[in-house]
Amino acid sequence: MAETTTPAALKEGGISRRGFLRLAWGAFAVFVAGTTAGALRFLFPNVVYEPSQKFNAGPGKDYPPGISLKWMREQRVWIMREEKGMYALWGRCTHLGCTPNWFEADKRFRCPCHGSNFTPEGDVIAGPAPKPLWHCKIELATNGDLIIDKAVLENRPAFRGKSPYYVTI
Amino acid sequence: MTGNPSPTPIKPPEKFSPSKLLAKIGKGAVLTDPEEIKKLVTNHQIWRSVFRGGIWKNTPRDRALHIMGNVWLHLHPVRVRLRSLRFAYSWGLGGLSFWLFLLLSISGILLMFYYRPTADLAYRDMKDLEFVVSFGWLWRNIHRWCAHAMVLVVILHMVRVFLTGAYKPPREFNWVIGVTLLTLTLFLSFTGYLLPWDQLALWAVTVGTNMAGAAPFLGNEGPFGDLLGMKINNDIRFGLLGGTVVGEATLIRFYVLHCVFVPVVMGAITMLHFWRIRKDTFSAAPYSPNEEKLETWPHLVAREYVAAALATVAILVWALLINAPLEEAANPTVTPNPSKAPWYFLGLQELLVYFDPWIAGVLIPNVIIAGLCAIPYIDPNPKGVGYYSFKERPFANTMFLFGVAMWFILIAVGVWMRGPSWSWYWPWENWAVHKPPPPPTWDVPNWIGGSLIAAYFTAGIILPRLIKKNLNWKITLPGTLFLCAGLGLGLKIIHALLLDKSAFLAKNIPIFGPGSFILIVFLLFTFAFFGVLMPQRYIRSLAIGRYAGTMILVLLTMSILIKIGCRTGLNIKYVFSLPQFNFNI
Repeated sequence: MAETTTPAALKEGGISRRGFLRLAWGAFAVFVAGTTAGALRFLFPNVVYEPSQKFNAGPGKDYPPGISLKWMREQRVWIMREEKGMYALWGRCTHLGCTPNWFEADKRFRCPCHGSNFTPEGDVIAGPAPKPLWHCKIELATNGDLIIDKAVLENRPAFRGKSPYYVTI
Repeated sequence: MTGNPSPTPIKPPEKFSPSKLLAKIGKGAVLTDPEEIKKLVTNHQIWRSVFRGGIWKNTPRDRALHIMGNVWLHLHPVRVRLRSLRFAYSWGLGGLSFWLFLLLSISGILLMFYYRPTADLAYRDMKDLEFVVSFGWLWRNIHRWCAHAMVLVVILHMVRVFLTGAYKPPREFNWVIGVTLLTLTLFLSFTGYLLPWDQLALWAVTVGTNMAGAAPFLGNEGPFGDLLGMKINNDIRFGLLGGTVVGEATLIRFYVLHCVFVPVVMGAITMLHFWRIRKDTFSAAPYSPNEEKLETWPHLVAREYVAAALATVAILVWALLINAPLEEAANPTVTPNPSKAPWYFLGLQELLVYFDPWIAGVLIPNVIIAGLCAIPYIDPNPKGVGYYSFKERPFANTMFLFGVAMWFILIAVGVWMRGPSWSWYWPWENWAVHKPPPPPTWDVPNWIGGSLIAAYFTAGIILPRLIKKNLNWKITLPGTLFLCAGLGLGLKIIHALLLDKSAFLAKNIPIFGPGSFILIVFLLFTFAFFGVLMPQRYIRSLAIGRYAGTMILVLLTMSILIKIGCRTGLNIKYVFSLPQFNFNI
């Protein structure tokens, strides 16, 4: 057995040592990439246990004209009553998510975190917020209660003044 | 322990006979001589099996073995150079960072025995630690103040390493590792901040994680996020929070990150950091001819112990005197006014006033980290390694300290100048005083803003290379100041000559007062000095790649100042804006 022999597999066009190693390393890379991707996907839950974004804000006729802070502490929503109708503003600053405060004297919302200012309609007057405040979906139930849904939002001036983001009374 | 070998040799151990002594005890003799007791103990098989060095005779061999044979100390070289020992060289900052990391591990593990990371219990456990558990308050204070101290010490360590040029070859990559460790230190502080589950915690983390939601492409509120289909429940922020809001899922995530994941990663990288320090001859201090080395034990190790002891005493006193803050329980609907991040993030919070979150919260921090990592590779100056020298490295030191100063000025503004609704309050002003709301802002039209940005970067890169000779600063500096004042005055005159001011007033461009005049002249001169004159004088002859890299970092730094000026002086909100893509500059 002194002479070197070519492995049978190679003779028949099988895999060479270099080819095998390439394949093995390739398979290892795929394995690492796959498990990493799997671990990352693992971090994105499929079910979240968070409170419902929909709530009943009581009879619409009970709200006096102007801004109501009634639901701020519980639901983080301002309810605005104008002459023509009502809308609900989500109390989450569009900058980085703090809750702005309403300043009656200035007639504006001012955010405590970075100083954004908004009009009662939610438009940005000053400060860093990039977008107007969100208007929530608002409906009048058959019994006259306001049903507000914070998961359905709109802030474009052309749409936020219409149903379902505005109820006329 | 003394460093000098004792002149009289200690009695050789053969003369001491434990069996004789034991026999004596057997006969009823009472051991009273402490030396005899010590001998009996240290000659015992149990003792010898634990401490294998044999009898300490304080010979050079003993002192060398003390370093080599000890797993905790063997990362030290056996002998060190006198220059690297000098306190005013290293200030002991690297070692202190590590010591604080250890103190944090100890105090943190103790706190873990009581703390339960659920939204219902976390805050109650904090109160228990504060009022019920013996010394709970003390361990919590120690943990909190150590964390603050560590952030500061790590930053100062970085400044020290920069100023002594200790990042230059062959230590480039260890600098990069160090920057990673600084980032991890901040991330550890950030994740720990949520755990008390008080108002401070909740809102700092809400703001911090919403910045992840503003990440370009990967965040639901970030530029071009829509293009990749990012929503509130599938973007990178959702992955970080484990939900759509900072809640129960977030708390357990941050707990695991804070108590396990980040400390383990950080410990591993720290070891890498130390290992490379050791392999790179321990200190960058330059060699002098016939330099003598000192023994690490006791010269270096004793200093380390003293520094650690002093730091521990300082932390302990601090923890005894001042309680770690704990506000009321977290309330996801009510934000405290003002709501401030911990001090080391207040510079960032202040930047968020002037920039969209994707710039202030994502782009700027990442550029800072990348820029810091790039420093050893874009600075080819071989001088100034291992000692403080302003003369040999005027450009590097000036620009770096300028950046650090800017960072700390922003922090100072955030800490002392901001009050309710993030209005400007001087430290001596009462927060109860009502401040008028800020004036409305306006946007520069995109075609003007876009051209200005393009012109700024093109001209900024080309300008310093145009003049090929050294300028005489005695003439250039006053000349530049004069030019800047002239430009400011010109703007003022143009503004005054404009007959139709109503267009400006409608857009709330402020009428040029003395305040805005001074601000504009100051910013113009700062830019001219740091952005043009310094590079012209010192780096104009660098190879094009390094030159461009350096200039981009310089221009980006200056652009932050310019944008702050535009917002405060001229009420400009955006210079360039594509709201449909959330892409606003």
